[in-house]
Amino acid sequence: MSAPLYAEIGYFEPWWMQIAKALAIFLVVFNMVPMALLADRKLLGRFQHRYGPTRVGPFGLLQAVADIGKLLFKQQFVPRDSRKWLFIAAPIISMVTAAATLAIIPFSDTVDIFGVKTGLYGVDPSIGILFAFAFGGIAFYGLMLGGWSSNSKYSFLGSMRAAAQLISYEIAQGLSIIGVIMMVGSLSLVDIVTWQEQNVWLFIPQFVGWLVFLVAGFAETNRPPFDLAEGEAELVGGYFTEYSGGRFAAFFAAEYLNMVVVSLLFTTIFFGGWDVPFWDQPNWIEPIVVLAKMWVFIFFFIWVRATLPRLRYDQLMSFGWKILLPLATLNALVTAVLVVVLD
Amino acid sequence: MAEFFFFLAAIGAVGGAAGTVMLRDAFYSVLALVTHLIFLAMLFLLLRAEFVAAAQVIVYAGAVMVLYVFVVGYVGGLEAGLAGRSGPALRVISVLFAAALFVELTIALVGTGLEAINTEGAGYRAPFGEPSEVGRLFLTDYLVAFEVASLLLLVAAVGAVILARRRSGLGDANEISVTDFLKRDELTKGQGETGEMIEAGGPRGI
Repeated sequence: MSAPLYAEIGYFEPWWMQIAKALAIFLVVFNMVPMALLADRKLLGRFQHRYGPTRVGPFGLLQAVADIGKLLFKQQFVPRDSRKWLFIAAPIISMVTAAATLAIIPFSDTVDIFGVKTGLYGVDPSIGILFAFAFGGIAFYGLMLGGWSSNSKYSFLGSMRAAAQLISYEIAQGLSIIGVIMMVGSLSLVDIVTWQEQNVWLFIPQFVGWLVFLVAGFAETNRPPFDLAEGEAELVGGYFTEYSGGRFAAFFAAEYLNMVVVSLLFTTIFFGGWDVPFWDQPNWIEPIVVLAKMWVFIFFFIWVRATLPRLRYDQLMSFGWKILLPLATLNALVTAVLVVVLD
Repeated sequence: MAEFFFFLAAIGAVGGAAGTVMLRDAFYSVLALVTHLIFLAMLFLLLRAEFVAAAQVIVYAGAVMVLYVFVVGYVGGLEAGLAGRSGPALRVISVLFAAALFVELTIALVGTGLEAINTEGAGYRAPFGEPSEVGRLFLTDYLVAFEVASLLLLVAAVGAVILARRRSGLGDANEISVTDFLKRDELTKGQGETGEMIEAGGPRGI
């Protein structure tokens, strides 16, 4: 056989290393979810001049564990008129799509582990960031099926809002990245970080792109001020109104995991990933740098939640289509011209 | 490993396609089509066509099918399902058409001379299927087709806007919006008032 088959070409690591690092990345980042949950409650408390949870564990640090434990032991109610299979599948889709994006986040470049050359990322496909958008597209079905199969008006309206918001802002988000891709000349997140290591963090030359990506990221994760999908005053709880127990916990965890993933994407695409400027950092510290930068963004998410009131639904839509989308398009256009002129 | 994924994707794709045609409930039918498209993307991945696979999922599963789901969700699955009249004549004709299509496809497939069908297949060259290679081909070998396709899409987009304006009779060009569309009586059962959160009228049948 002269050349290997298309499908038989693997990546350069042995199979056990791929499994090991997949587990490691998933476990580390997934454990950020209860921490983000706790940070959310503690910080929101502080922003509102109260203590937040203090009872469970020292300083209330085990509150998130208690929350999750409570939810897991509750009854998992399935409404009689719901579409049962879809109702059960929806939170799973949400979780899987949220977790899948973790695969492309680079925590460091290639390093030696026990003499095996290993990239500290799940995979580095040539489609890079498109991988994240693909799973973002599928995430729509988690929300939509959850709301539709519940057979309840509140759920349905919540899912319609969430889905409309998701697809509207995904376009702006996709366009805001194009400037970055043109400057770097690659879709791969590893290449994007390496480029930033050698040149400059991309939020400086791509300032407009970064802002659009930031706002769209808020909308994509259904975080305040864009959390109309679960506007308590109008819709009870949005698409997960009818959910309880573990399935509700899955939706909830997916939302926080999305926040973590979007923070990681901010870090990677616009803030240099594992790079620390003016310092030739050792390899082992790079994953910690990425996680530290991620926490800055999670703090920012919570800060915004505590500060800004919720938008009105038509304001949200017209903002996405009439401001963000033209802005992102303009940014892509200007960047294209500049890249050609300066080259 | 490759065989396992091939058969998984192939069975999934065929099953999804069959479900699209055979399921009575429009909502499930749309979902079956989504499944079909996702498994197709998996087949593309097995051929190392990474960009095509991503585009397939983003454009078809993530955008086109979303519109289908919206429409079926809002307008509501038909309670009685899509049970049409199926007389004996219709059945005979449908079988005839299916057979004709099968013959046609067989001729097309065999006629191209699938020379590689008993071999290991073509070898893998490094940039194959990557976005850079696809982009290079678009802007060199297939430039005309690429530009014509984008022109076609532009015409379609403009046409859609014009049709939407004419149908709903909007006065001002500034007023074309999803909100206005949702305000229409058939979606809100006539309960939508100006200034209200109009989508609260709710879908039919729930």
